[in-house]
Amino acid sequence: MNEFRTLSFLSRFKWLFVKAGIDYSAMETILRMKLTMDGRRTPTIFTGQKKKEGNQFLKSLWIYGLYGLMIIPFMLFGDGHYIFQMSIVFGIIMFILATTMVSDFSTVLLDIRDKTVLQTKPASSRTVNTAKLIHILIYMFFITGSFIAIPLVIGLFNNGIVFTFVFLAALILTMFFVVVFTSLMYFAVLRFFDGERLKDMINYVQIILSIGVIIGYQIVIRAFNFADLELAYTFNWWHVFLPPMWFGAAFELLLNQDFATPSILLSALALVIPIISIYIYVKLMPSFERNMDKLMSESKSRKRSGRLMDFWAKVCCRNREERMFFRFASLMMKQERNFKLRVYPALGFAFIFPFIFIFTELQMRTLEDISTGSMFLLIYFGNMMIPTIIHTLQFSDSYKGSWLFMASPIQQPESAYSGTLKAFLVKLYVPVFLLLSIAFIAIFSTRILPDLFAVLLGAILHTLITYKWMDAGEFPFTQSFEFAQSEGSAKMFLISLGAGIFVIAHLIANAVVGGIYVYIVLLLIAIFIGWRRVFPMQSGEVR
Amino acid sequence: MSMENKVLSLRNVTMRYGVKTVLNGVNLEVERGQIIGYIGPNGAGKSTTVKIMLGLIKNYKGQVEIFGQDIASGDPSYKKRIGYVPEQAELYDNLTAMEYLAFTGELYGLNRKFAEEKAQKLMEEFDLGHVLHSRISSFSKGMKQKVLIISSLLHNPDLLFFDEPLSGLDANSMMVIREMLAQLAAQGKTIFYSSHIMDIVEKISNRIVLLVNGVVVADGSFEELQEKSEEGSLSGIFNQLTGFTDHASRAARFISIVEGGTDNE
Repeated sequence: MNEFRTLSFLSRFKWLFVKAGIDYSAMETILRMKLTMDGRRTPTIFTGQKKKEGNQFLKSLWIYGLYGLMIIPFMLFGDGHYIFQMSIVFGIIMFILATTMVSDFSTVLLDIRDKTVLQTKPASSRTVNTAKLIHILIYMFFITGSFIAIPLVIGLFNNGIVFTFVFLAALILTMFFVVVFTSLMYFAVLRFFDGERLKDMINYVQIILSIGVIIGYQIVIRAFNFADLELAYTFNWWHVFLPPMWFGAAFELLLNQDFATPSILLSALALVIPIISIYIYVKLMPSFERNMDKLMSESKSRKRSGRLMDFWAKVCCRNREERMFFRFASLMMKQERNFKLRVYPALGFAFIFPFIFIFTELQMRTLEDISTGSMFLLIYFGNMMIPTIIHTLQFSDSYKGSWLFMASPIQQPESAYSGTLKAFLVKLYVPVFLLLSIAFIAIFSTRILPDLFAVLLGAILHTLITYKWMDAGEFPFTQSFEFAQSEGSAKMFLISLGAGIFVIAHLIANAVVGGIYVYIVLLLIAIFIGWRRVFPMQSGEVR
Repeated sequence: MSMENKVLSLRNVTMRYGVKTVLNGVNLEVERGQIIGYIGPNGAGKSTTVKIMLGLIKNYKGQVEIFGQDIASGDPSYKKRIGYVPEQAELYDNLTAMEYLAFTGELYGLNRKFAEEKAQKLMEEFDLGHVLHSRISSFSKGMKQKVLIISSLLHNPDLLFFDEPLSGLDANSMMVIREMLAQLAAQGKTIFYSSHIMDIVEKISNRIVLLVNGVVVADGSFEELQEKSEEGSLSGIFNQLTGFTDHASRAARFISIVEGGTDNE
């Protein structure tokens, strides 16, 4: 086991813990074990990368440092309107802290192994719970520290020493507030729902984090435009429910000497709510522990009809085995959390990127101007996600269940991937594509309908080509996610760029009058022949 | 009709992982209606044998015939008449029990409606009707085991491979399974039963095959084995045939380590 500098730092406060009736050496042992385990975990923001040696957490901190840069503009261009600039700053800080807390520290907070491993040992539950809280707080300090270090230095030079002190105090309160508030939220969910639902919610927060960071980045780049706007603050009753406003108001109160009632009220909340929530947290901890048992018990039943799935399976698939895998893959894509975590952000980008480019364009041209051009080809950005997702289809958390495919009498193993790819197209690609198409038709009018159809066909062909090049195993969902990063990333990137070839082909087709229809026919033929080549199956009912 | 009666036969089956020989010429003939207790110490090659017969492992040497068909021929149809419960309860557990069972039923060639109805009835018999539409990941070990047992029986197979099928089950469910196995065998199904729990193997099986270091070292009914080895119980026979006699001295050493030494802190 390693020695942690954090722990030797913590030991200076030993007397404080001993005074509170905590078995310090037991707590230290627990923390050392936890920190060692954490060093072997990969944080969510890093899921897209290869596994490396060493403490992944500490190595991921620079990313937070980078995110920290995006709050600098808000600190610089505010002309002392703290209520605006600091509310935004604390809004961003809270978003990052809360989402990180949920996505990366849920496992810590909800570790049910703690119960069997730690609570059976002679350590008081107060010691165990304190260890848990300290464990999370250590990380929050690291994250907040690296997130805020540069902005803090800039704040010191730009806004003075008093500002820095208020900032630090507010940060500590924010941190406690976020940690405790997240825990209380879990508590509420577990109180009323079951563990599976909670895991789903955590999964969605992880997905939102991945998408939010990218979109947030795009927004902040454009935020320079409104950062120097002059606005006068008027208080509304609902501001009470916006925690970032509390802290913004505290700056207003302390630095601008604004002693108006709203400022005092909001600032008081900034101080009081975190303290109250810690108190509630301590009080509720025992019943939280009890509710954690739900994580281990079976979840409530929910039956789905799946009639729509039956319909698509009938329409798209050529034989019984293919239909079977179509259904199986649809269910896996819908219910496997790790799959969703890896794929949904890509879907989100596919949906958002075309619009980001259009918005960028809008700063130079009018919408009418854009709507007559070929900008709709931006929809091909949506097709760039195809290789990533098809690559991910090889993996599953429960890959060990794949003995089933080998043990069962599957007549035509080709039907497995054929059905799976079709399920991907119908269940994941087409919904995103349809939404994009509706938005694009609204912008570019119905004249682009044939083009959109060509894009859809291009996507199908792209799917097929990706599968062919990827050289996957015989069956989908049969490998551990451990290997998801190891190979083929560079290959996948190349195939993603394949979308560009389709764009070029499309442009060529559009250069000729009616060329798009020729292009559509060519694509149809290519898909028809290609699919049969790649998946040579007998159609109809196979015995 | 001895041909029809022979369910499976292994002839000189050898399996190697690199330099390590796991199976070293296994010969075995099994007839209809037998319950075979397939036992052996850890690493003797029990699971490997089963996996070969299921087609999970392909690069073995020797001949394996199931229902008179050489399984190396590449036609997977013979698997339609086989049910399998693997040693570890590993399945696609993000699916619900119903989804998983319907899918396996379909894989074995059943119509989905039929598979679903059957799965529902079987789940209810195991008192699992209320979790039919819950994710398997939230199930306990015993519940997962029951789902696996159901999935192995949905298509009414003639040959069953059960690898430690009772692990995680409570005493009542164990009784149900034991009784079930006896009745299945009475109806002419063949059951290949691997386990480490000797008492159960002793009671369940009408033939016991002991594998040590990749070779069959004993094959016969419990009574036959008893006569040969002059041991009273199957675990006694097991110890004797695997050459393990120092359990008492090992235990004594273990205890002396537990009790000995002082904590110098």
